[in-house]
Amino acid sequence: MRIIAWLAGIGTLLAGALYMIVSLNRWEWNRALFFGLIVLIAEVGIATGLVLRRLARLEYRSTRVDPTVGNILRETRPPSADRFAWLREPSRELNVFITFLVGGGVLLSGMAWVVDRVASKSSSPAGEERLGRQLDPISYPAGGLLLDDITVLAQEVPGANDDQIRQLLRRGGRP
Amino acid sequence: MRLLLGAVGLAVGIVGVLALREATLSTHEPVGDARETELVVSAKTKGGERDQSLSEMVEAQLQSCRLEVTSDLAGPIESLGDGRFRAVFTPAMDETNRRQFRGCVEDWVIDHVRVNVIELANVT
Repeated sequence: MRIIAWLAGIGTLLAGALYMIVSLNRWEWNRALFFGLIVLIAEVGIATGLVLRRLARLEYRSTRVDPTVGNILRETRPPSADRFAWLREPSRELNVFITFLVGGGVLLSGMAWVVDRVASKSSSPAGEERLGRQLDPISYPAGGLLLDDITVLAQEVPGANDDQIRQLLRRGGRP
Repeated sequence: MRLLLGAVGLAVGIVGVLALREATLSTHEPVGDARETELVVSAKTKGGERDQSLSEMVEAQLQSCRLEVTSDLAGPIESLGDGRFRAVFTPAMDETNRRQFRGCVEDWVIDHVRVNVIELANVT
């Protein structure tokens, strides 16, 4: 099966290269491009296969161990440590595991509460101050939107000679 | 031995590239007394759209390929029946243009149509 795959790859490469050269010679550029693409795909496939084969050989060499040495190592292997033996020991007293669990939960809750309080005290004033600065460019001018008397009298504003408008403007111009 | 094989391979590669360069190089020459170039093609279509006829596919292919040479269609493309078409181009094409034009006509230029050149010759 593996030999068939290699032969198919090499055959595709050679046939693609041959057709590419023939197409170039006949001035058939689109066909030449197509067969060039086939050559490229076959080349990448064969190169990948070669690299994988070389890697597999290296892996096989590195994993090959003398069977005598392997037997000795297996026989002298130390027993694995039983790290959860304390869970199986019967005890009528309060288990240390539960103590750690509850205590850790209380500690974590306390830390979270402290972080929440500190964040709420520090972030709100800073956020309000930043929002105030952002609103400043779109706020109303200090004297209101109406013109003051001096500006009205100094300019020829349409309607400036109307008494009622002048009265309104004066009223609006006052602080 | 390995050095010798490498040298032979290099020489073959260089000769091949030079030959390909020579074959694909445009070298124009006078066409002599020839006035026009006659083309006869056979065409087949497969899987094309319903409203596309073979004759318009051939016309599109020839019009596209004539942009690669200095000649233009002289008159309409005649249908000879049985998927064969005849066209006349003026002025006559030189050897390089004929090779280039034949390559383009037989190339995959337009989808769903395959054109084979039956005759491409200069006419006096």
